Amino acid sequence: MREDRKSGRWLTAALLAPTSLWFLVMLIFPLIVILVFSFGERAAVGGYAGGFTLEQYANLPSRLKAFQNTLVIAPAGTLLSLLVAYPLAYFLALRVGRQYKLILLVLVIVPFWTSLLVRTYAWIFILGGRGIPALLEFIGIEGVRLINTPGAVLIGIVYGYLPLMVFPIFVSLEKLDKTLLEASSDLGGSPFKTFIQVTLPLSMPGIATGCMLVFILLMGEFLIPAFLGGGKVFFIGNALVDLFLQSRNWPFGAAVSVTLVVIMLITVSLYMRMTLRSKTGRDESLM
Amino acid sequence: MSKSNDNRPITAKRFMKELRRYEKGSVSRRHFLGVTGLGTAMAVMGAAMPSLWPGKAQAGDLGDRLIFSTWPNYHDQANLDEFTAKTGVNIQVNAFGSNEEMLAKLQAGGTGWDVFVPTNYTISNYVALDLIQELDLSRIPYYDAAANNPKFAGPATVNGKVYCVPKNWGTTGFVLNSKEIMSSPKSWKDFFDVTMGAGSGHTIVHDYQLTTIGAALCALGYSFNSIDPKELAEAEALLIKSKPHLFAITSDYQPGMRSGDGWMSICWNGDATQLHNDLPEMEYVIAADGGEIWTDFYAVPKDAPHLDAAYAFINFMQDPKVQAREAAVHGYAPTDSRAIALQPPSLASDPILHPAENLMNGLEFGAAQTLTDPVRAEVMARFKSA
Amino acid sequence: MANSTSNSNEIDIEFRSVTKRFEDVVAVDNVSLKVERGAFFSFLGPSGCGKTTSLRLIAGFDQPSEGDVYIGGKSVVGIPSHKRPVNMVFQQYALFPHMDVADNIGYGLRQRDPKPARQEILKRVDQTLEMVRLSGYGKRRVWELSGGQQQRVALARALINHPTCLLLDEPLAALDRKLRREMQIELQTLQREVGITFILVTHDQEEALSMSDRICIMREGQIIQSGSPRELYDEPINRYVADFVGKTNFIDGDVVDAIGPLVSIKSESGQVFSGSQPPGAPPIANGNKACVAVRPEMITITNIGETSNATNITINGQVVNRIFLGEHTEYLVATEGCGEVMVLSPKSIESANRSFEPGDHVSVSWGPEAALIIGDT
Ligand SMILES: Nc1ncnc2c1ncn2[C@@H]1O[C@H](COP(=O)(O)OP(=O)(O)OP(=O)(O)O)[C@@H](O)[C@H]1O
Ligand SMILES: [Mg+2]
Repeated sequence: MREDRKSGRWLTAALLAPTSLWFLVMLIFPLIVILVFSFGERAAVGGYAGGFTLEQYANLPSRLKAFQNTLVIAPAGTLLSLLVAYPLAYFLALRVGRQYKLILLVLVIVPFWTSLLVRTYAWIFILGGRGIPALLEFIGIEGVRLINTPGAVLIGIVYGYLPLMVFPIFVSLEKLDKTLLEASSDLGGSPFKTFIQVTLPLSMPGIATGCMLVFILLMGEFLIPAFLGGGKVFFIGNALVDLFLQSRNWPFGAAVSVTLVVIMLITVSLYMRMTLRSKTGRDESLM
Repeated sequence: MSKSNDNRPITAKRFMKELRRYEKGSVSRRHFLGVTGLGTAMAVMGAAMPSLWPGKAQAGDLGDRLIFSTWPNYHDQANLDEFTAKTGVNIQVNAFGSNEEMLAKLQAGGTGWDVFVPTNYTISNYVALDLIQELDLSRIPYYDAAANNPKFAGPATVNGKVYCVPKNWGTTGFVLNSKEIMSSPKSWKDFFDVTMGAGSGHTIVHDYQLTTIGAALCALGYSFNSIDPKELAEAEALLIKSKPHLFAITSDYQPGMRSGDGWMSICWNGDATQLHNDLPEMEYVIAADGGEIWTDFYAVPKDAPHLDAAYAFINFMQDPKVQAREAAVHGYAPTDSRAIALQPPSLASDPILHPAENLMNGLEFGAAQTLTDPVRAEVMARFKSA
Repeated sequence: MANSTSNSNEIDIEFRSVTKRFEDVVAVDNVSLKVERGAFFSFLGPSGCGKTTSLRLIAGFDQPSEGDVYIGGKSVVGIPSHKRPVNMVFQQYALFPHMDVADNIGYGLRQRDPKPARQEILKRVDQTLEMVRLSGYGKRRVWELSGGQQQRVALARALINHPTCLLLDEPLAALDRKLRREMQIELQTLQREVGITFILVTHDQEEALSMSDRICIMREGQIIQSGSPRELYDEPINRYVADFVGKTNFIDGDVVDAIGPLVSIKSESGQVFSGSQPPGAPPIANGNKACVAVRPEMITITNIGETSNATNITINGQVVNRIFLGEHTEYLVATEGCGEVMVLSPKSIESANRSFEPGDHVSVSWGPEAALIIGDT
């Protein structure tokens, strides 16, 4: 009996080994490399020169503004995406006839088929002097500057990340048992109260997933701020691009990355705790 | 391309052609693809999917491909096609954004590049890092050292050995929209004064430490290439002071200038030509208090996999007729007097391509140490992050 | 089955020529009906006949295409469901999965304007939990409960609002047979206690017969017959109703003699059967197709030639099957010329006579009062 159990344990370990190795190679190893780099020094001509110093971490305050920008605009962009995506997902999931649903869903994804780069480029022209400001001037509103402002970056974020936010919310609303809405109405709940008390809480998993996806990706975003912020709205992602591709200061880049990873880990664990608590008991009836 | 090929996936050649067309309209010279990482993506894709390449059964001694890293909008596709037609060598073009990025890639190793286009001040660094190889000039018969002005060709020779051959030269000044800016600024000092005055909110500086910090240094009366920490600190202060008045920090400044948002920008003369051709009010200024003069070269990395093709390609591009045709498209001047002689008079006398000698008195070639100086890199990063 | 607390004659729910179309489907077709206050009313019919749609028209989830729906004497057409004084128990219960039992039950009270005080809500929830025998379950998650308990939560959630009328859409369909039986009794008891109108949708005729004061039998969106269970059982106006309500033997034939309600038909075998037409059935004339319907419990089974009464109709045949049902024994007899006849023989008679085995030759007979003549429509 005991022998059996022992060999079973070995078997489990053997079966798990490839997965563990994969996990190690794909996730842990790069992180360790970055961690080691972050305590090193920049070589004279750029790159990594070994050593052990806390200098890189001491230099973090020089990128304070980038951290601040990211930590303000990423949550704001996430929130704004949510505010735009939710009504869209709601409309698609609950208001659109089955025959149009697929077409409209595809329309939401279609922009994803071209690169974000090309789409963001289109926004440079839309928000630039010949775009919306010219239209506003035409109706008498002068001197509006859109491009290269935090507002433009937010617009780009909402545009670029919309599908990522729409889909999880759409799925959770699709899954929502529509008779629950009738039940609420039957019990005297006005459409608004029904939304607040039934639809919204039951779509919470979708909201949380969408926000998490968008937020995490936004923390590393560099394309949209570079293009729509004109280099004046500077994210941590831009600082990293500069550090690795321009000044080739790998150790400092690594230190910034490690800090970013730590911030994200904290956010994700907060998210996990939040959803775990609110989810107690929901899965079985919803999934 | 034969009819029977039509249902095959897009060929690399066509892909590049399409990409080039896209770049023509919207992308200026430097930095664009560097920021996007598209250059890298293309390089990886090309290496990972050799089946994209139409196989040449009769491929000669040169092999069937060449990987070429250069800048956007810097070639006439017709010339590249002609080379392929003559030799059977398909050219995979990677467009890069900055010298720093090229260096970063080569330092990391395994690029697979055969030929690339570095700028003068980087060459001694590449030699010191043992990243490029000495050229056997006998394999580049079209290259005529005597026809090249040593002022431009000089950096190709390091410790008496020739590591590259010149491609084009140009200047870095600024472009302004004369309909918006009436005060006709003449210097970098004027440039920053206008930026923080009448032109507030409409100036573009490069996302490129060499030119942006260089411009600020010149405005303060220092050398474009200074690495003196005190002088750099002053330049940083000037840049940070001007930051609220800037329209953008980007090396992709053509769209901003064309849309009317940008009134003034640090500018390479080829971009100025392109802008001026479309919008006559765009004027190019070589600043009286300094600036950059530069030469780009063809060089071969140490580990170039297709060396024969690399030599054949460089030689082809050195043909004065090819050089002249190239210049007519991208708007940068050849260094080769034979090629200049072949240019139409309108181009040969164009003041943006060939400024009067006295205007260029204050211009400096980029210095080797500016590429790697950590203080300059950090100053730029702090300015952007401010 | 009369309801003690009912205030008879007062009409709670009324349909006036209500039609509901979904694109080209006519789900409810020109239906008029009245439900008295305090009644236990059932919609009975096969799948897709429009029962749920009728209920949804009352609840306000759907609006009629034509006609009027009245609740408590007032037309409610156009009034949304959250403003109607009726409540529904859904087929799958539709309990809110993100709330515990108490919050589910208190949901309706919380929607009131003004909202009752927290204490008041808690008190009412406790009372209601007690009423459905779920005291102490308030803090449970709804998905932790058994099917029957969930069903009772759904009932409590509706009843706590004191609706004038409770709508139940196949509330017991998801339960097993034994639990269903228990819940049927509970529902009936509850209805008597609270004294409000219950409208039940079911396709289970036994359930409808045992629970309801009145039943409305539907087919393809139309009402075929409505009445008390006894009326429907004893006097089905057509073969559809007779077939749907209880088991019946049918013998087809042509009408040969029709004087008032008394009708004679001649079967294919040439035998003549007489009987009366149920009141309210459309009149039939000589030569029409009709059938004679006889309930199996009205038929006696005997040895051949032992028929007791001369006025009885007698057919000979052979037993093909016998099933003991405890109180009754069910025989299936293959007759000469009249197909298979089902006979339900009470235990008392079984013990007096000898019982029959499959293969025995027997006579089946019934008195003229047991036979109904039903038009073929
Ligand atoms: N929303 C709808 N859209 C289209 N057709 C519908 C809709 N609701 C019901 N119908 C149709 O109306 C008819 C009656 O449906 P209803 O749900 O009332 O039947 P039912 O008697 O409740 O059947 P069941 O016993 O199967 O529940 C059916 O043919 C159904 O297909
Ligand atoms: Mg139904």
